[in-house]
Order: sequence, then C-alpha cells, then structure tokens
Amino acid sequence: MISKFRSTALLWSLFFLNFGFAQVSSTPGQGGPAGEEGIPVMDALVKAKCGSCHTNDDRGNMQRISWERATPEGWEQALRRMTLLYDVDLTPAETGHLLQYLSTYHGLAPEEAKKVTYDVERRIHEETGIPNTVMSACGRCHNFARVLSWRRSVDDWKELSRAHAVRYNARLSEEAIAFLAKMAPLHTPEWAAWRTRVLDKSPDGRWLVTAYVLGRIRYFGEMQMESSGTDGEFNTRATLHSATDGSTVVRSGRGLMYGGYAWRGFSRTGNVTSSAPNDLSNDAQEVMTSAPDESNAEGRWFWGQYQELGFDIRMQRATSNATLLGIDRPLLKTGSRSQRIRLIGDHFPEQIAQADMDFGPGVTVRRIVSHNASEVIAEVDVALDAPLGKRQVAFRRSVMPGALAVYDRVDYIKVTPDSATASFGNQTRSRGYQQFEAIGYQNGPDGKRRTADDVELGPVDVTWSMRVFYESEGSRTDSVGTVGPTGLFIPAADSPENNFDVWVIADARTEKDSDGKPLVGKSYLVVTVPVYTFNGRRYVRDLDRWVDDGPARPVQQ
Amino acid sequence: MKNTVLSFLIIATALLLNPSSARGHHGWAAFPSGSQITLKGTVMDFHFVNPHSVVEFAVKDDKGQVQVWEGELTSRSNLAPRGWTATSLEDRDEVTITGYPAKNGAHAMRITRIVLFNGKELKLSGGN
Repeated sequence: MISKFRSTALLWSLFFLNFGFAQVSSTPGQGGPAGEEGIPVMDALVKAKCGSCHTNDDRGNMQRISWERATPEGWEQALRRMTLLYDVDLTPAETGHLLQYLSTYHGLAPEEAKKVTYDVERRIHEETGIPNTVMSACGRCHNFARVLSWRRSVDDWKELSRAHAVRYNARLSEEAIAFLAKMAPLHTPEWAAWRTRVLDKSPDGRWLVTAYVLGRIRYFGEMQMESSGTDGEFNTRATLHSATDGSTVVRSGRGLMYGGYAWRGFSRTGNVTSSAPNDLSNDAQEVMTSAPDESNAEGRWFWGQYQELGFDIRMQRATSNATLLGIDRPLLKTGSRSQRIRLIGDHFPEQIAQADMDFGPGVTVRRIVSHNASEVIAEVDVALDAPLGKRQVAFRRSVMPGALAVYDRVDYIKVTPDSATASFGNQTRSRGYQQFEAIGYQNGPDGKRRTADDVELGPVDVTWSMRVFYESEGSRTDSVGTVGPTGLFIPAADSPENNFDVWVIADARTEKDSDGKPLVGKSYLVVTVPVYTFNGRRYVRDLDRWVDDGPARPVQQ
Repeated sequence: MKNTVLSFLIIATALLLNPSSARGHHGWAAFPSGSQITLKGTVMDFHFVNPHSVVEFAVKDDKGQVQVWEGELTSRSNLAPRGWTATSLEDRDEVTITGYPAKNGAHAMRITRIVLFNGKELKLSGGN
C-alpha cells in the first residue's frame, strides 16, 4: 500500500532535515511498561489510527505511545516510520492533527526542549559530557540531540535498544540505558509542571522583532501573527528594518505552534532581490520557541543547502507601553563626545526628555536630535572615566541588558565562528556558505585574553581576507573561494575535487595592538567536497557531520 | 543503509587511509614522519579549535630575523579531555616546540612536543 503521508504538512517537509535518522520504535504493539505510570491517550484519532497495533489498557494507556514523549520532529519521524513500514494510512489533515496532539500531550516541556533546540534550529553545537558507552552506540548514526528529543520510561529505552539491535545492529549497553533513563526519563518535574499549563496558548497578535544577521548587525521590526482558521495554523507578516543601512525586509509566511510553545513556520518575501546566497529575501524556515508565559520567543529563520544562513530572532509581545528594542551601535569609546546614537523601539511617546534615556554611569545625553514613535536619535558624551564593559540601556521602564559596551581600547578581535565548514557544490547539492563576524574584546580585570572575565564589546570594522594553509601570504585562493567585504565566504563554483584548510582573516580597520599593528583575528575554515566515497560507501555532508548515504553506486558509463 | 553518521574527525582520519578519496581537512600528510625539528619561540596566538588546534609562534632565525611558524596539534575535542584550554598557551609564552616540518617548506609543523619556559611539558594526545 502506498502511504498517503507525504509532505503534508504544509510546512513540515521543509523542516525535517535528516528524515532517516529516526528514533526507531519496535514493531507497534510490542514492549510494555513495568512500574511507571503511562500518559493516557485521550485523542480519538490517535486511538483510531494507532490502536490496532498499540493496544489500550483500562487506564487509557496505549502501548509504547503512553510511555514516550517527544518533540514535534520526533513525532513526525515516528509517524513517517509508521506510514512507511506499517502502512498506516493518514491524510495530510490527519497527520497534522496527530502531530499537534502528540507534540502537545506527549511532548517535551519547554525547559526540556531547550536542550536540543540547537538541532532543530540548525546550529552547530559541540555535544560534550556524554559517556563513551552512549556515544559509541548512538553517535555512530546521529547526534545526541536526536536521543534527547525523546523522553521514555526505562522499559521503553530498553525497547528502543532492542529495536535498534534488530534494525541497525546497534544495541545499547545496560550502562547506556541506565544513563538515558536517568537523563531523559518519562516523568520529570518540568513536564509535570508544564502539562497543567499547556492549554490555550496562542501566538496571535503583534510581536516586536529583533533579528540579528551575522555580519550585518541588527534588524528591528514587527511580526503580526493571525490564526488562518485552519487547526493550529497561523499566517505571519514580518517587517524588518536595518539598524544601519536603512533597508527593509517584508516577509509573509505560515506556521504552526506545537505544544503551545514550539513554532515551526516558513516565510518568504515573494521577491528574491538578488542571487546572493545571504540575500535576506530568501525563503526561510522558521523555528522559534516561545517562553512559557508567552511574553517572548526566540529562534532562527534559516535557509541554504545546509541551513547555514539566516536570522537569529528574538521577539517580544507588543504592548501599549514604550518599548526599547535596541540601539544602532554596540560600542562607545571613553572620552568621546557628541556621539549620535539611535534608539529603536515601539510606542515612544510624543513628549520625551533627556532623562527618559539611561545609558548608565559616565554616559550623558547631550541632546535629543529627533524622535518619533519608533525611534529616538540622541547625542551622548562618554566620560573618560566611564566604567568599562557592557551595560544596560533604558528608555523609561523598558530596559535592554547588555545593549551597549563602553570601552577605551580593543585588546583583541575574535572571528566567530572560530572554526567552520563550507563546501563546494556538485550536480545535486548547492554550495555551502559560511558567514563570519569579527568581535572586539577587552581582556578584563586579569589582563589576559581568552579568559572568563574578558568583555565582549561587539562587532568591529575589519577587512577580510583568506589564506590557504601552508601557502604564502598573497597566494591566489580563487580555486577555493572568496571571502567578501561582509565576511561571507563563498566557495568556488567549480569544485577542485579536493578539500582545503583555510585561514579566514579579519584585519581591524582602526584598532591596533600595543605595537601599533592592526589587530588580527582568524578562523579555521575547512572547505570540503560535498560527497565522497570510502570503503565502498558514500558519505554526504550534513551541517556538521558526514552522513552515510549507503553503498557507493557505480559510476554510470 | 542510509543514515550512519560520522563526525568530521572520524572521517578525516578515515580519509587519510584512503588516498583515492577526497581528503578531509589536510590531515597529517603534509608533515611526513621524517626527522623532527625543535624550535624555541614566543607564542603569538593559540587557536583552540577543531579540526586542529594551531599555535602561532615567532622564531628568530640565525640572522636574527623573526619568522612566524604555525604548529598544529590534534583537535580541541581531543585536547580538552587532557586538560587543555584556550589559555594553555598564552601570548608571549616562551616555548620549545618539537615536531615534523611541512614537506613543502612552509613554516609549519606537526607538533609532537611542547615544553613551556618553566620546563613543564604539555600533554599531547598519542600519536600527534
């Protein structure tokens, strides 16, 4: 039977990036709990669609399902597996309903989901602190976030191990099962607290948005979310204004809020303005997490072959109060005068005074240049002895912690990310890009760089260059790629069928070291082929790992 | 079977074993295991990163000219369990570094031993 489950789901097919790595359930109906209370299934459609295999007990528990909780992505993978392996017949609407129900009533609490958000937001994240016994079993095939996207009873972890042994020849040791049962148990205080609050959450309304694009400073604006009238679906319209170059991005989209806090959406401008990979008008997937009290949300909107480009997003619900969203410059130097600074926000009143603004000790407002409901431009003086470091900025009662840094010098610059991967394209895979940014730091009280007390000052102006390892300065790098003036690395269009290690180098335009030389920061970039074969198997690049894509196929003659 | 995932580091190692495949990052092939050299210098920067950590250090040659060398170590992921941090080597630290020089003559080496000015030897992972 051909499954009807396809990319139903409106948006879902766009989000799940490694479909096949699923957490593998055993044959439905097998396995069972001993000693742990299950989560009763109350939904008629779940019972109807799953009940023929996942039998009920007299408490409303369904085998396996009642002893598992998972993220929307986890449940989507499980449904996909059921449709592909067990011919479960689902319409798109039914799939959407099941995902919504399971993600809500058999989901993760926001605090639990936060630990694996990096995976769904497609952020590179170094997973540490995982015992070798676990990583040797799990890490061979997927990252640990995939594991922690589930919560299970002890028996269900054992059942998972049994199923993995059958399907993937990967059985968990007793020690590994004990670790997982302790680290990701079915019942947690977070879940117990959340499940009583999960109802009646809706993102409807107007949100104020701060969007950060690596290498481009900040965008500010708003997003309107309205119910589409379809179960759990919302239409969105976001308008973002650059804090620095005056550009505006308008995006429209749709999305679903799962479990009352997990936003999965898609947006586009409908007018891609250039072919530049980092053009902000690109279609984007949206992954955001709303705070339990719904006052704010944060996440990432992204695109690209490896979802490597996009916005970091913070949103807060709009109110009728004056709200400060941000400022247009992250740094002020001690002893500087008449520095123009722009406060961006919402509902700034018609009448304002210098005293409405607070930049912290040593920074005084000289005058207000102009103002309207969404911005205030002021001139400030910075005392020579103003305290160094990050500080909050406030407009009346609206406070932005750490919005501004006062500095007397930049001790060093750090290129972020400090190591990265980009890749050449081939016939089926587009190139993978990498955006860099140069951040200024002060050494902090201990006078040493790279220590915990260092003060991050913010982006600094630099010129970008690159150098292939072991090549002399100034050698040609065209065959590898280019790094542009905004710090975006673009691999060469023609793959040289080889990999390269490259320094991406930021030279500060104005900041100098104690010897009077421009400060320099570097990042270690590996530029790879997108696919290779090894020992008869084909491996393809994912965001931060290689995926075994099966036996290498013979070259077609 | 789809979906077996290996880390970059594992693959990087694997690729070194298979010359017919594309290589991962540069690996150690650029530093043939011939005779080692020992240099005394001053740390200019330390990049505690994957897939290789890198020490940039300044060395005075016979004529008193300063040459900048890059010494490569194993990855941050391998060094961290051995107690390494981003400050294991600090700017202006006097160091004595031993390793295999790059075969192309670049001022680069695969480090096998680092001794600090106080005589303390930093522990490296086996084989690097």
